[in-house]
Amino acid sequence: MFEPKVKIDRGLYATLQRAAKIADYSSVDEFIIHILEKAAAEIEQAQSEQEIRKRLQGLGYLE
Amino acid sequence: MIGDCKTMITVVSGLPRSGTSLLMQMLHAGGQPILCDDQRLPDPDNPRGYFELEKVRSLERDATWMADAEGKAIKVISFLLGRLPADHEYRVIFMHRDLGEVLASQARMLERRGQPAGPDPAQMRSYFERHLETVTAWMSGQPQIRVFRCEYAAALRDPEATSRAIAEFLETPLDVQQMVTAVDPTLYRQRVV
Repeated sequence: MFEPKVKIDRGLYATLQRAAKIADYSSVDEFIIHILEKAAAEIEQAQSEQEIRKRLQGLGYLE
Repeated sequence: MIGDCKTMITVVSGLPRSGTSLLMQMLHAGGQPILCDDQRLPDPDNPRGYFELEKVRSLERDATWMADAEGKAIKVISFLLGRLPADHEYRVIFMHRDLGEVLASQARMLERRGQPAGPDPAQMRSYFERHLETVTAWMSGQPQIRVFRCEYAAALRDPEATSRAIAEFLETPLDVQQMVTAVDPTLYRQRVV
C-alpha cells in the first residue's frame, strides 16, 4: 500500500519529538498524525460552517 | 428540570426547507400561541407563510428578547439553536426531511431569490450532515432542552398521528383535528420518489 511521506526539517522534527514526549505520546509519528488530523478537521469544520452560513444568508435565514 | 407550559418556549427547528413552516402552521391551527411577525410574507416557496420572527435572524448578536417567547412557539433554524439562552426551558420540535429533498428545495429558493447556488449538492450535503450530527449531539447534552424528532414525510402521510405525538410531547391540549387541516400534501413538491 502506498504510504505518503512528508519532509520536515530536522529542527522541527526534534521539536516535535520533545513535544510528543511531554504530551505522553507513544511515538512522534502518533503525535504528528494526531495534530495533523486535528488541524485538518478544524479547517474543514470552519469551511463547512462558512458555506452553511452563506447558504442560510442566501435563503434569508441569517442577517 | 423542565418547567411548566407558561414559561416553556416551543422551538420549531431544522434545516431551511425541512418542513418548519408546515409545523408552525400546524401548531398555530392547533391553538398554540406563536411568536412571529409579518416581515417575511408568503411567496411561491411558502404559499402559506413562513411564521418567522425577524429578530431570530440576528439571534447571534441579540437574544435578550427571548423571554417574549415564553409560552409561545418560535421558529429557529438549526444553525442558531446554540444561541438560545440557557436560562430558559425549551421543547424543540426538530424537523427531519430527506436531505436530497431539502437541497432541491433550497436550490429552487436560492434561484428565485437570485442568490448564488454555492457548492455542488454532494458537498453541501456533507456539510449539512456534519452540521446535523453536531447539533444533535449538542442538544442531547443540554438539560434545558427536550427534543422531539419529527419526520416531514410522516407528518404529510399521517398528520393526525404526528399532531397527536406533538401535543403529547408539548403536554398541551392542542386541537389535533385543526392541526390536521393545516397539512396540504400538494405542497410536498421536492419529493424523492
